[in-house]
Amino acid sequence: MNNSWKLYNTNKTGDFFDELITDAGRPRAAARHAVKMLQSLSSKEMAARRQAAELAIREMGISFTIYSEGKNIDRAWPFDIIPRIIPAREWEKVSRGLAQRSRALNRFIDDIYNKQKILADGLLPADIVLESGNYKPECANVSPRYGAWAHICGTDLVRDRDGRFYVLEDNLRVPSGVSYMLENREITKRVLPELFKNHSILPVDDYPSRLYSTLASLSPREQRRPCIVVLTPGIFNSAYFEHAYLAQGMGAELVEGSDLFVDEDDCLYMLTVDGPERVDVVYRRIDDDFLDPETFREDSTLGVPGIMRAWKQGNVAIANAPGSGVADDKVVYAFVPEMIRYYLGEEPSLASVKTYLCMNEPDRDYVLANLDKLVVKPANESGGYGLMVGPHASKEKRAEFAKLIEKNPRNYIAQPTLSLSTAPTYIDDTVEPRHLDLRPFILQGKETWVTPGGLTRVALVKGSLVVNSSQGGGSKDTWIVEGKRK
Amino acid sequence: MIMLSRVAERLYWMARYLERAEDTARLTQAYTHLIMDIPAGSEPGWDILVRILDGEPIFGDKAFNEQNVLNFLIADEENPGSIRHCIRAARENVRTTRDVLPEEVWEHVNELFLYSQARARKSVGRRNRHQFLEQVTTRCQMINGLLMSTLCRDHAYRFIKLGHLLERADMATRVIDVGAGALLGTERLNKAVDPLIWASLLQSLSAMGTYRRTVGPLVEANSVVEFVFRERTLPRSVRFCLDGIREELVPLKNNTDALKILERSRRSLSRFNPETAGREGLHRFIDRFQLELNTLGGTISSTWFMPPRP
Repeated sequence: MNNSWKLYNTNKTGDFFDELITDAGRPRAAARHAVKMLQSLSSKEMAARRQAAELAIREMGISFTIYSEGKNIDRAWPFDIIPRIIPAREWEKVSRGLAQRSRALNRFIDDIYNKQKILADGLLPADIVLESGNYKPECANVSPRYGAWAHICGTDLVRDRDGRFYVLEDNLRVPSGVSYMLENREITKRVLPELFKNHSILPVDDYPSRLYSTLASLSPREQRRPCIVVLTPGIFNSAYFEHAYLAQGMGAELVEGSDLFVDEDDCLYMLTVDGPERVDVVYRRIDDDFLDPETFREDSTLGVPGIMRAWKQGNVAIANAPGSGVADDKVVYAFVPEMIRYYLGEEPSLASVKTYLCMNEPDRDYVLANLDKLVVKPANESGGYGLMVGPHASKEKRAEFAKLIEKNPRNYIAQPTLSLSTAPTYIDDTVEPRHLDLRPFILQGKETWVTPGGLTRVALVKGSLVVNSSQGGGSKDTWIVEGKRK
Repeated sequence: MIMLSRVAERLYWMARYLERAEDTARLTQAYTHLIMDIPAGSEPGWDILVRILDGEPIFGDKAFNEQNVLNFLIADEENPGSIRHCIRAARENVRTTRDVLPEEVWEHVNELFLYSQARARKSVGRRNRHQFLEQVTTRCQMINGLLMSTLCRDHAYRFIKLGHLLERADMATRVIDVGAGALLGTERLNKAVDPLIWASLLQSLSAMGTYRRTVGPLVEANSVVEFVFRERTLPRSVRFCLDGIREELVPLKNNTDALKILERSRRSLSRFNPETAGREGLHRFIDRFQLELNTLGGTISSTWFMPPRP
């Protein structure tokens, strides 16, 4: 065994589930070949592979942008070369659970903007939903095709110490990261080609064509090739790379708001060198608030005046549909298992994390008394901003959050601190355990489809639980591996 | 094939900037060789390179010495005509049009950018200059070759070609302007070094060999002007560029204005007579001609990049 792995088990302090190595220090069955091969590499060889990965990332221009000190910085994508491996048999169950969840969430959104049966039946309090900033009254009485609103959903999963997957949150507005999932596989193929010989790894690279089919199924006009565009806020957005990547992968146009306009016929057009061209489907990567200055924020220059009009008339499909965010509120999250029973008559097959709603007095009392054990999150922030990890927070920080909660209880939820699973990660010259999560993507159009695996994000800082790339996180290639191949 | 106006604009500018980087590298390379060939004392000054590219306002009142001028042309980020700036601008344009280009184009342009970021400053001095300029030229040509051999002959190709040819035509006239000598000043004119200058200019257009085969071994001012302006088979001649622009304008919608201006330029090019014009006349013609090319660029932009909204 190569020296860099020697200390792996001694470094596994605390009781975490490790994705590749058992408590006895042996590789898990699905990861056996890969671990054996990686352990056979000398330190020099490992370093060379990492260097090759860095080179590939630079050359492929895989980057993300962070906003720091008033400047946009284009950073190379931080990538760990050791893949995370999940057996296909286990994944199948997770995948079914994700599809089930996505169906229920879409039924919920469609219900909320139409009959509001779930509120009438008292399953969850109406004010939670209707007073949330994510509920958009402008979307009422619209019925998108197939009742699908959140066509692309990124659901964050974590594994607790019991080895089970839990849903941490659903991202239904403009989830990002899928291009990194695809590029990570590309990089691994380049730098560790030997690994692919002994494994049967489910391919991920048909995602753009799946996305295309999903979007095409939404087109209001019956056309052999509907006109699909990806609407980006532009080059300064942190996910611009992904917008371009997906547009190219689908053969769609990558557009900015200024490329589009709504004509007097309430249809959407784009400006081309041959004149205006009718658009059928908009895969938008800008938030609701910026989508249409006629309806939402007047000062938005990113959006398209009148696009909501065109959408409501059924002249253009928008993915995700405006208003979908109503279901990714962290308070609403607590009710998803109930929704699954209510709309689908099924038991949820994926576990959710126990969630305390600060708006309920007993919950709030518990949260305030146990701030040092809990993770407190604002109900509508994403990207890991504004959250507090109790066990790691200072006294002052906890006092600050206690005040915030008392001032605006509706805006906060709390969850027990999960002990996120770890996986071997190549840090400096040694392989060490680092915490990670997983974001699979679920597509919902005429059909439902789940990515095999997803984007694994890893906290590169020792002991850290924050995996967001904007806050020092990296990522790993994620393998769903089928049974042994001889 | 759909092409967004904004994307067409960025492709066009990507091409212009790549062409400008390459042509500036070629011209600088040829000029450096020329200066080494001419006996000390009678060599033309470095200021010509700045003037030929209309760079005086940005160059400011620095001394026109080799170090300052070469830094200005190669590495100065404030100079929109510097090789380093052109490459950066080309990359920015590719970065926002990656979805319509073959994937390798981005990789190569990005590599060229990383190369120029790392090397430009260190390549101002004579020691590394040659290698840098050669690399820039070669890499630009590689990207060109990649575009020519992989792009569908649709709008993307069309606007890229328009950008390349318009820039190349402009640069060809500037190269001739060096030889026109109006910029050299009469005190620097020297019959003995004249053929050397014209030969090095032909070299900067990769046209020396063709010139020898089609015109003859003697390099002489009027025939070089004739050759670079009007040789229809030479890919870097002005005539060739205008013909190519015409070819791409014809299939575009709303092309009336642009074609009208182009035809005017083609006519004035074919009417120009180097024999009777003299050096002063040649220089004045080039100035006027560059203005016409500018007008053509403006019309392309207002017709296809900024179409009126209903």
